[in-house]
Amino acid sequence: MTSRNILKSTAIAFTISIGLASAALAECNFEGETITIVVPFGEGGGTSQTFGFFQPYLQKYLPGNPLIQMLNVPGGGSIKGANQFHNNQVVDGTYLLATSTSTVLNQAAGNPLVEYDLGAYKPVALIESNVHWFTSPTVSATAYDLGPLKERSLNLFALNSPSSADMFHVWIINKLGLDNARPIPGLSSSNGYQAFLRGEIQLSSHGTANYLRQVKQGIDAGEITDLMTLGWIQPDGSIERVPYAPDTPTFAEQFETMTGAPLSDDDLDTYMAINAIWNQASKALFLPTETSDEIVQCWTNAFAEIVKDADFIAEAPNRLGPFPLIIGDDARPVVARATSLSDGVVDQLNNALKANRLSYRIER
Amino acid sequence: MDLLFSVLLQLFEPQHFMFLILGVLLGLSVGILPGLGGTTGLAILLPFVSSFEPSMALALMIGVLAPTTTSDTFPAVLIGIPGTAGSQATVLDGFPLAKQGFAARALSAAFTASLIGGLWGAFILSISIVFAKPIILAVGFGEQFLLIILALIMIGALTGANLVKGLASCTIGLVLGAIGLAEITGDPRLTFGSLYLVDGVPLIIVGMGLFAIPEIVGLLQSRSTIAGKDGLKGGWSQGMRDVVSNWFLVLRCSTIGVIVGALPGLGGTVVDWIAYSHMRQTAKNPENLGKGDIRGVIAPESANNAKEGGALIPTILFGIPGSGNKVLLLGGFLLIGIEPGIEMVTTQLDMTYLIIWSLALANVLGAGICIFLARPMSRITTTPYYLLAPVLIALIFFATYQINRDWNDFVGLLFFGLLGVILKTFGWSRPALLIGFFLSSKIELLSYQTSAVYGFSFLTRTGSLILIIVAVVTVWFLLRQKIQNELQSTDKSQQQAHMIVTASFMVFPIAMAIGVLGLDARASLYPMVLSAVLIIFLIFILWSQLRSLQSTRIGTPLPDKVLMRDVFSQDGALWPQLLEFSNLVIFMMLIVIFGFPIATVLFVICFIVHREPTRFVIASLLGFTLVGLMWLLSNLLTLQYPAGWIVNFVNLPWWLSGH
Repeated sequence: MTSRNILKSTAIAFTISIGLASAALAECNFEGETITIVVPFGEGGGTSQTFGFFQPYLQKYLPGNPLIQMLNVPGGGSIKGANQFHNNQVVDGTYLLATSTSTVLNQAAGNPLVEYDLGAYKPVALIESNVHWFTSPTVSATAYDLGPLKERSLNLFALNSPSSADMFHVWIINKLGLDNARPIPGLSSSNGYQAFLRGEIQLSSHGTANYLRQVKQGIDAGEITDLMTLGWIQPDGSIERVPYAPDTPTFAEQFETMTGAPLSDDDLDTYMAINAIWNQASKALFLPTETSDEIVQCWTNAFAEIVKDADFIAEAPNRLGPFPLIIGDDARPVVARATSLSDGVVDQLNNALKANRLSYRIER
Repeated sequence: MDLLFSVLLQLFEPQHFMFLILGVLLGLSVGILPGLGGTTGLAILLPFVSSFEPSMALALMIGVLAPTTTSDTFPAVLIGIPGTAGSQATVLDGFPLAKQGFAARALSAAFTASLIGGLWGAFILSISIVFAKPIILAVGFGEQFLLIILALIMIGALTGANLVKGLASCTIGLVLGAIGLAEITGDPRLTFGSLYLVDGVPLIIVGMGLFAIPEIVGLLQSRSTIAGKDGLKGGWSQGMRDVVSNWFLVLRCSTIGVIVGALPGLGGTVVDWIAYSHMRQTAKNPENLGKGDIRGVIAPESANNAKEGGALIPTILFGIPGSGNKVLLLGGFLLIGIEPGIEMVTTQLDMTYLIIWSLALANVLGAGICIFLARPMSRITTTPYYLLAPVLIALIFFATYQINRDWNDFVGLLFFGLLGVILKTFGWSRPALLIGFFLSSKIELLSYQTSAVYGFSFLTRTGSLILIIVAVVTVWFLLRQKIQNELQSTDKSQQQAHMIVTASFMVFPIAMAIGVLGLDARASLYPMVLSAVLIIFLIFILWSQLRSLQSTRIGTPLPDKVLMRDVFSQDGALWPQLLEFSNLVIFMMLIVIFGFPIATVLFVICFIVHREPTRFVIASLLGFTLVGLMWLLSNLLTLQYPAGWIVNFVNLPWWLSGH
């Protein structure tokens, strides 16, 4: 008998012996059940991949080892699937919604087609990411001297759609005082990066995964100049540099260098909202609004166990990125910041859009 | 070099080889089914990929992608419906060949050309690993823009004698492609406030509506089997000899396939057309093209298999997917821990070699299996229409549902199906419309991007100059062809019907122009310009139709299709086709009431029994087999079928869309 089997039979014996005492826990035994995670994107997309990675671990650590299935409902920039989730909520812990930045942003930006309300749901876990900006050595700016960038007559950067999270680029770059920067519309981050490599645009950006995969080696080889990251917000609210690029300043640092004062008031609020939508809640998992606390606890417990699993610890940096998960109660303030923008924040973002002659506006 | 061959040996290990064959079989199957392709095959696979060892998962995935454009020739040649977008041009000559009884010759030529094209693609891919980076970096916004313009001019060439109608069809496609959120500003254009149209009409809906449905309606109307009863006669060696004697054409079209495949975004939808146009313009005696010329099969088939090798270049080196299925392939790469980029030619070179060898072997296996299975497959053509048609209709609705799992897709399918029937009956170019639709958003974006980065200076870049020269040469070839007046049916009422159709197409530009009226200039300029151009084209066509209506000249009463050189259009009046089209509407109504699987059983059985009351047993067998397949797919894909009205009253299992 292997040690695992001994453990298993001991556990069974233990369970039988305490019998009724475990009634409270038995409330969320998913044995023989099928758990459906609604993914409002297509198969093979980033969100499907992220939660596909969790599938075996959830099966292992949720009580009763339920079957985990993903239901892909793509369309309407994730609004369709999230609305479907909203209108079919099952509160027994077997029905969840997976989201990405665009799901969060659609609600935050007041898209009239949105029926769902992430702020009302029970967040289970957030998978964090970060945004990196970089330029070409021919611009001769460095992370510690943005001067040359400011002096150029024109800097171009990629903007996929002003109604996507790309709108944040406009605010970020404006806040650094780079008035000579102009967005090139309709470029996804990968097409934008390619145009950057061709020398057609000067300012480029990538999320953590692609930064580590594609950009880092160029930076190490001196072919690409790192400028800044959006910054990593700690539980206490402080803004840290990302662990894998310790020499690269954050936006908050660059802002202070360029303007002489730290982020404050509406600027700070806007920054925190952007960070919550773009970085902290870049992938998230929610239970329906009316889910009982016991069931929510069950799920957060499972995630707390998963992050201690040796296989998970070995694989997660490759599959999810270098940031720790934000689980349960810690996720609530982040979701709140991400989904309800104050009037000051809306004005900030809309003004930046207007200044760049973009007609898209966030609705209140 | 040692690594190159040790990887090949690795691939021949039993386990690897088994995975490769498994992939090839799946790829062949999805290739044969109209509407499905490598994208669907990969989507089915992806959930399982992470449980295999990376090298085996790679063999499996490449195995699925490589042979879809080999087996898609079966439906293209035998029933005139392209199996995937890559074999649309094959239909032009392949289907007429089959009708003339040369199906075997067309198929064997196609498989041989596919094999050579696929191997050539793998070969170029392996060479390009060394040189690709500077080449791809040289193709900037301006070059991409010119390349698309060149593609559109070639479509003008494709529609041949009827240049204006071809360009007008293309412009209708461009206008329809502008529906959805404006690329630059995000303003909704002609979405009628609906969520469905925000992303624009799905390409697959337009493709299936325009191509598959009119063929099925035509099949229903003809009430016969598609080919003669003979099925496949001999001619296998003839087809292979055809390829050998056209070796230079195969080489040129394979090279076109690799190049077009390697350019991001153009991908599989246009490569066969570009190869076909190239062949048409360089052919010595083009009289027979479109009526069953073997070169019309060889050109697109060598190109569409070669494009896979080309498309893998940006995918492997930059992680930049050139087409939909490459997006999924990249997703699969990430699942098994393979990261595209410079590592693929340094630390993970073995993986790159594995991809190349898998691609080459999958093409050999795919072509081999296709030749081996050709006889059983050819029986599709001798199947009576009343058995084949309901199955095809169910299949198309199923494929449609796979796109977004959205009811609106069914409505879109019926709309574009009706449009396709009208276009086909009145000799408008459906391929031009589809390609215009596909390229519309790219043209709009690239024109803004090019002007933002270069202004007009992009015209003086080397790549641009080359492309401009190619475009000018193409136009010169085009103008050399006589622009003939439409010689249409001498029947006056027929002529009037043509004019009514032309006039009714005015609804597209006018609706678009009104729809974008109040929007920001950057959102409305592009559709406004397109609408204006389209109105001019339509007025010109109306004017020429009016002239031929008034002329008392008794021309040779050539049927339209001879002039159109478009196999998709065949003789047939509109009304009987509309009657057959109503079958689709009835099926749709059954789905609304009963949900998709039950509606399929009812429809298949009722349809067959209605036409041929003696075949009740086979009808039931067919109906329930389809439902069994749906149940299986539901389990494989976690798929819930569209719910019918009936779920409100009856308790159904989950996959039948019960609660």
